[in-house]
Amino acid sequence: MHRYVALRFLVLTMTMAVFVSGCSGKKKNAGMATNTDVLPAGDTEYAMSERFEDGERVTDVTFENVAFGYNQYIIEAQEASKIEAVSQYMTQNTNVRLIAEGHCDERGSREYNVALGENRAQAVRAALISYGIDGARIQTRSYGEERPLDPAHNESAWSANRRVEFALYR
Amino acid sequence: MSRNGIVAAVLAVCMAGVAAAQDIRIVKQGTGKSDIDLSGLQAASGQGGALKQVVRDDLMRSGYFNVVSGGAAITVRGKCAVDGAARIDADVANAAGGTRYFTRAYDEPSATWRRAAHRLADDIVKAVKGKPGMASTRIALIGAPGGRKNLYVCDADGQGMAQLTRDDKPCMTPGWTPDMRQIYYMSYHGGYADIYSVDLGSRTRKKVSNFPGINTGPSVAPNGRQLALVLSRDGNAELYVMDLGSSRVQRLTSTAQATEACPTWSPDSSRLAYVSDRSGSPQVYVMTAAGGAAKRLTFRGSENVSPDWGPDGRLVYSSRRGGRYQACILNPATGEETQLTSSGADYEEPSWAPDGRHIVCAKTQGYHSDLYILDTLGDPEVRLTTMQGDWYSPAWSPR
Repeated sequence: MHRYVALRFLVLTMTMAVFVSGCSGKKKNAGMATNTDVLPAGDTEYAMSERFEDGERVTDVTFENVAFGYNQYIIEAQEASKIEAVSQYMTQNTNVRLIAEGHCDERGSREYNVALGENRAQAVRAALISYGIDGARIQTRSYGEERPLDPAHNESAWSANRRVEFALYR
Repeated sequence: MSRNGIVAAVLAVCMAGVAAAQDIRIVKQGTGKSDIDLSGLQAASGQGGALKQVVRDDLMRSGYFNVVSGGAAITVRGKCAVDGAARIDADVANAAGGTRYFTRAYDEPSATWRRAAHRLADDIVKAVKGKPGMASTRIALIGAPGGRKNLYVCDADGQGMAQLTRDDKPCMTPGWTPDMRQIYYMSYHGGYADIYSVDLGSRTRKKVSNFPGINTGPSVAPNGRQLALVLSRDGNAELYVMDLGSSRVQRLTSTAQATEACPTWSPDSSRLAYVSDRSGSPQVYVMTAAGGAAKRLTFRGSENVSPDWGPDGRLVYSSRRGGRYQACILNPATGEETQLTSSGADYEEPSWAPDGRHIVCAKTQGYHSDLYILDTLGDPEVRLTTMQGDWYSPAWSPR
């Protein structure tokens, strides 16, 4: 089913394998190694077309949010199955489109968090494209720290708030 | 642990404290404060007294004066009157030195009566100290009373607060055009993170950038012709420059595995400082406005974000140190860095005043944000916003 594997997700997966096995106690530092230029300049494989109208929100099926580490937008190995579930649904329901919504915890620059949440959503979009979903069916939206799932100010709230939500429309 | 060991440990802690204290020492760069006597400035009525009080507050807030009654070499004589319109007749002199700085009249319509005092205060700072004042300047900001987020603008003393939008939607990072006629900002007004401009004269709003993905970080160049922004239309948050005449965008960065954010222009519009997490944590970088190689500027602090390039060439930014965000200043020409704040609060989104001395920032303590004005020459911080709700994302006007 996943014969088409794009370069980006392959690189992420390989790098994750290295840091998950190499230094599981220091995820943040491990993330550093991946924050380098790995795609050629001017790469437009993941460019987005014009925004589509939302349409009718799919409510009869829900998918788990993808979780992220602090200041991280790399998809961790244990999160990949959540994205696979969405890719299977979108493969079976070809009229469904997705807005991947990126969110952050409240810490840090409000403006940087919008960009960080966007890169989380873009990482999920890239993974779905690598699973064979047409990129034209997937858009992104980032709310940064503006829409926390849990408004508390503690580690468990912050962890729940660092997420990508799947907003599906038909 | 032996007794000597305990002494050594205590000494080490003390020494560390001394080192930390030296670390945040504020270098006095300007001349000291001068005493100034306002007792010869007569208040013609009750409201004339209020006008005189604004002059007094502005001079104290400038950081350059102590206002005294009698005994000062520098004197302000004349009259403050508000009779419908406001008028100040002022004669500013240094009696001991035999110097007359100026004799001038200030007229303002009643709606803007406080500006007569602001103009006089700025003229006194300029004439006596040779420095630009900030009493007549303004600050754009985001307010969230009752959780409803909107764009506001107020005077540099926090008065004259005016609400500019009625979106009740998340919005942030306002910035002024050099002619001070428009404010560019990011808002979720249309559901996505898009860039808009608000015309302060006509009170109309224009959509500036709504590419797919995010449109953030609007920063208008001091030359007024270009806009720095962050777009993700190519699949990743990258730094761009838009030509405001043609609306064409040019991409400056190509970091497929990094996030770019928070651009700010150098005073001559030739370079951009911005945040990138290409090293693994958000840090401040600089590159020419035409693109090219990025040079990392910040190395201390686990994160350095929200840079603002000031009129004298120094950058102020928010640096995460000991788990808190502190306001720090860097001179990119010399590499000299100063930590301006050190309290247990978070100081974020700093913005330079056009006087090159003061900084406005959002100070968060107990999960509540208000704007505070910091002084790079050592005066205590001053709270600017005192209303219900969170107030943040300040942008000081260029004049």
